[in-house]
Amino acid sequence: MSANQELKSDALMEQMKQHLASDAGKQLTKKINLVYQINIAPKKLGFNEAVYTVDLKKGEVTIGPYEGGKPDATFSFKDDDFVKVALGKMNPQIAFMRGAMKIKGSLSAAQKFTPDIFPKPSKM
Amino acid sequence: MDMRDLVTGGAACAVPGSSSSSSNPLAALANTLIGSSSKIQENKEIPTSITPGSERQIYTQTNDHLGALDQPFVDPNAPQHSDFLRGFHGSGGGGQTELDAAWNDIHPPPPPPQLDHIYDTHPQQPILDGPPQRMLSSLLHSFVDSSRGGVPFRATPLPVLGLSEGDKQCIRDRSSIMARHIFADKSEDFINAQVNALLCSLDIDGDARAKGPLPGRFRELEDYWNESQGTLKPGFHAADGWVAEFNQQRMVHGANGWASEFEQQHGANGWASEFEQSQLTSVDQMRGSNISSLAAMEQTRMLANTLAQNDDPKFQNSKFLQFVSKMSRGELIIDDNQVKQTALPAAGDWASEYQHQYNRSPAWADEFLSHGPDQWVNEFTTEREQHGPVDDQWVSEFSKLHVHDWADEFGRQVGEGALGENSTDNWANAYDEFLNEQVAARQRSDTSRGVYVFSDMNPYVGHPNPLKEGQELFRKGLLSEAVLALEAEVLKNPDNAEGWRLLGIAHAENDDDQQAIAAMLRAQEADSTNLEVLLALGVSHTNELEQAAALKYLYGWLRHHPKYGSLASPELSDSLYYADVARLFNEAAQMSPDDADVHIVLGVLYNLTREYDKAIESFQTALKLKPHDYSLWNKLGATQANSVHSADAIFAYQQALDLKPNYVRAWANMGISYANQGMYEDSIRYYVRALAMNPKADNAWQYLRISLSCASRDDMLEACDSRNLDVLQKEFPL
Repeated sequence: MSANQELKSDALMEQMKQHLASDAGKQLTKKINLVYQINIAPKKLGFNEAVYTVDLKKGEVTIGPYEGGKPDATFSFKDDDFVKVALGKMNPQIAFMRGAMKIKGSLSAAQKFTPDIFPKPSKM
Repeated sequence: MDMRDLVTGGAACAVPGSSSSSSNPLAALANTLIGSSSKIQENKEIPTSITPGSERQIYTQTNDHLGALDQPFVDPNAPQHSDFLRGFHGSGGGGQTELDAAWNDIHPPPPPPQLDHIYDTHPQQPILDGPPQRMLSSLLHSFVDSSRGGVPFRATPLPVLGLSEGDKQCIRDRSSIMARHIFADKSEDFINAQVNALLCSLDIDGDARAKGPLPGRFRELEDYWNESQGTLKPGFHAADGWVAEFNQQRMVHGANGWASEFEQQHGANGWASEFEQSQLTSVDQMRGSNISSLAAMEQTRMLANTLAQNDDPKFQNSKFLQFVSKMSRGELIIDDNQVKQTALPAAGDWASEYQHQYNRSPAWADEFLSHGPDQWVNEFTTEREQHGPVDDQWVSEFSKLHVHDWADEFGRQVGEGALGENSTDNWANAYDEFLNEQVAARQRSDTSRGVYVFSDMNPYVGHPNPLKEGQELFRKGLLSEAVLALEAEVLKNPDNAEGWRLLGIAHAENDDDQQAIAAMLRAQEADSTNLEVLLALGVSHTNELEQAAALKYLYGWLRHHPKYGSLASPELSDSLYYADVARLFNEAAQMSPDDADVHIVLGVLYNLTREYDKAIESFQTALKLKPHDYSLWNKLGATQANSVHSADAIFAYQQALDLKPNYVRAWANMGISYANQGMYEDSIRYYVRALAMNPKADNAWQYLRISLSCASRDDMLEACDSRNLDVLQKEFPL
């Protein structure tokens, strides 16, 4: 894959995947116990989306839509906005109000989607 | 209506859609002041600096109001009043989990015959909960619901609802605003179609807006204009309502220091000049603005009205509401999706002063909130008591429109945005943040475009040799000071690549990649083949997850390297593929396995593709060759942390900090590693330490906030938001 097609979010998702295998990640799974599907578009919401399933029941991050039924909540972001939300630069409410985040599914599940579930990348 | 009623009445004399206590600038100012007055109660030792003369002057103006307040008041309409308030309570929290169910519970579809009956008996003034409103509200709900499936809303013929022109106008304006929220992802055409379908169902002429300034429309605006003039023009009279409100507050709370506090904050003449300014602003504003922005102001004004009806005091006092109010007065405009203060100097001053005020002490807002409930209700009650008859009219006007449906609906939409039981808090907080973000965005907008932003006050400007000074400071580890000295250097010699380079390094070590990139770009401009600059740009872009840019600079490093340049073929640089670049670097590493730099670049490159094991190996190889390179230890640590080897990472960071104790980036990374392991208390200490060394490290502030919430230290969030390092350092010593 060309580096040009990579999403910034890919790095965060990869880190999330590894994070979920750690002790802190297992606690997170226990605490949240929900399945989120996250659609990430490079430029425009809804176009050329990369679909991730963040399964906080089993503690997995997989590429593609959730296969075990209906996810508890589905979010749609643009790449940059997802990074901002995951890193705590923009809170989910603001993202929603600006139309930078679309939500489908259960409200109570969506509420638990907060910046602290994502591990933060360290800087070189 | 009497001018005096207008200016003293505030919300009470409002006609629908034009003004309420919160869209009245005076009342907003008073709200702010009253909010601060509660703080004064705790600070009574602060000497009162108001002059006796001016206080007396205010009093003489307001004796009649005080008198009115003193008398026990029997309000014949009191029950209606509380119904009114209850109505808002009742609809405020609806629908959080089973939204649709709750929705239907609250608003069952009405039987049409009853509708006709009621309509016939009350043709002039539909009653508060009459079926026409239900009809209207279920129509509005289906309008809102149509956002879900993306199914276009179809026009539905309805019985005549008896909406007045004013009602129609309100609905028209609100639905346009709402539609843009609800259908934010849809095209403008779709939104317009939706709105038109709704308006068509309600027999409202949706084209009124599109056609622009019709004479009738314009007259309406003129009325608003005149009214706002009435509110603003005569200083004394305008002050009456405000003073009355204050005095009432005073009687309730016994606060007497507000004036001095205000003076402390704004200077002795602050009030007068600020008031003057806001007057001038509105005058200029109105004169200078075209019809479309007038319409926008009017819309927000209506929105402000709607929101003002939400009875939740937190919401009521939130900056969001003030924000909307401010927009409704034209002090803020939305342009290109960005909130901007109006270009007029007066307006800017006022707004920025307010912002500044707020940023300096957000404690304010909180205190205000804690005091809010009674205040608002009291204020409202008093307004009503003073202007009973007018007020009734106002109330029924509003009830007729069922505005709380809208407020509720609005709230619900936000509720869907991941909000919970305390949705209004979050709502308000979110908007506070939104505002702060806007302010910050204004400041940062230059950096995000890769333009370097200089500090305002720089003591090193005029220094005979700022570069030498900067290098010295950098060597001592005084990064923030070094930044200033180096800024002075590049201001003096803008083409000094070394000055820019070191400035970039200092920013990177200070954990500010945006500024680092900006400085390094200037260094590259001055010297396009400097290897250190190219590597630094590669690293910073990797940190910012900007892969393509990072790859470009790392490849540039190879191409400009005297030894390995021959490996790079020029045609490759047009279409860079990661695999090719990695292959070339591996060739280079085989050529000279003892060159630490090649291994460093290779390590960065592997980070880019998240091949962390290979990256760790490369950095460890490089460290054998360069064991005293603190930034290399940090690179190793960051790589280990990103591959979830946090314990190893902490060891590596510790090595870096032993070599360079003021290495802000390593302190911040320590915090991240602890936070990622769920050790939030520890992470807080490291973040605070990093911030103490560089309070401009925005990332660390954001992460600190998250860690504080996770560690259930919400008591410290305020200190975090106000960036009060003294408090934080005291609370979280390392």
